[in-house]
Amino acid sequence: MSYVKLVVQRYDPERDEKPRFQEYIVPYRKGMTVLDAILYARDYLDHSIGVRFSCRMASCGSCGMKINGKPALACYTQVSELGTERIVVQPMDNFPVIKDLATDFEEFFEKHKELMPYLVREDRAEQENPKSEYLMKPEELERILQFTYCIKCGLCYSVCPTVGTDKLFPGPQAIAQAYRYVEDVRDEGGETRLNILDNPHGIWRCHFAGSCSAVCPKGVDPALGIQLLRRYVMRGKAPRKKGEGSKPFTK
Amino acid sequence: MEKGRERNRRGIRGWFDPTVPNNLERWAYFFQRLTGLGILAYVIGHIGDTSFFVGGPFGTGPNQSSWSFDLSITENVVGHLILIFVVLIVTFHGINGIRLILAELGIMVGKPSKIEYPYRPSSLRSVQRHIIWVAIVLAVLAAIWAGSILFG
Ligand code: SF4
Repeated sequence: MSYVKLVVQRYDPERDEKPRFQEYIVPYRKGMTVLDAILYARDYLDHSIGVRFSCRMASCGSCGMKINGKPALACYTQVSELGTERIVVQPMDNFPVIKDLATDFEEFFEKHKELMPYLVREDRAEQENPKSEYLMKPEELERILQFTYCIKCGLCYSVCPTVGTDKLFPGPQAIAQAYRYVEDVRDEGGETRLNILDNPHGIWRCHFAGSCSAVCPKGVDPALGIQLLRRYVMRGKAPRKKGEGSKPFTK
Repeated sequence: MEKGRERNRRGIRGWFDPTVPNNLERWAYFFQRLTGLGILAYVIGHIGDTSFFVGGPFGTGPNQSSWSFDLSITENVVGHLILIFVVLIVTFHGINGIRLILAELGIMVGKPSKIEYPYRPSSLRSVQRHIIWVAIVLAVLAAIWAGSILFG
């Protein structure tokens, strides 16, 4: 393979009536990622291509898009692994398009924030200025570790069939992160999160299509987190009440 | 921006397109909806059918002629094939429904663990996935059994 045919979906909601496709011929080199191909097209062929990226190593979660119809990180997808010279790139579904491949994460982050993705302590002064560390046992860490790897790329959100029809559903990423904090032995905000999720547009709208877990590039498994969290919502009881979180470490 | 927002939400298309991202649970989700609609259509048809011989809006009352008329529209090859199909979809819908109830109770979906590349989500390789195959096999067996009774 000496070149790739990169087909980019172009759409500027401020100006265009509907999306269109534009083709660029990009010279191929060994080890080239889809993001490399897009950046080549943007740098040398057409400066107007809209794309968001940052770290180029699957850590920042900025370059999620549909590559040949399948949601993936462009920096994490080798051209060679696609097995085709024609690569079609489109913005992720379920996100408003800002321009071309760049999508708007405002709604996504709002939903994430609403579920309080941080440790909550009853003692607010201690929460803001902890006097010492909070210890966890290895098995307690293991219960939440994989969920901490989320890079907020939004790929799970883009394939979720419920997000596609219910604007109020928090989505797999936010709920999986809620589970991550509810299950954290240092946290005391579980009951508040369960109350937020226990509504007709909340956790009950997940029907376990499992697509979130199938596309997650970091192995987070949001579908697992959602089902496990649902147990707590069903019982109406978080694993810890206020004041029952692990105690600060003292010598 | 609002225009682009509306354009890009996947909508009901997403319910009926299991090819992205093509995992088995997404196919089960798709068939659960489809079979649900099929069962609903059958129930509505069945109520209409029953009304023939109990004197509903289409029937003439509980008598020999309405019963014979009802049999004439259901007791034939097409009618039997429809019933076999109903057995197929009800069996799949029922067993897959039990799988979903258990999964949504956090049962048989695996548990969090240390993960290593290449990532294989535990929820997508847990017992719940085997139950999808069990639902498919039992639905086919039930349909064969129904066929042997209806055509036997
Ligand atoms: S759960 Fe996975 S797919 Fe979803 S935002 Fe986090 S890293 Fe991305």
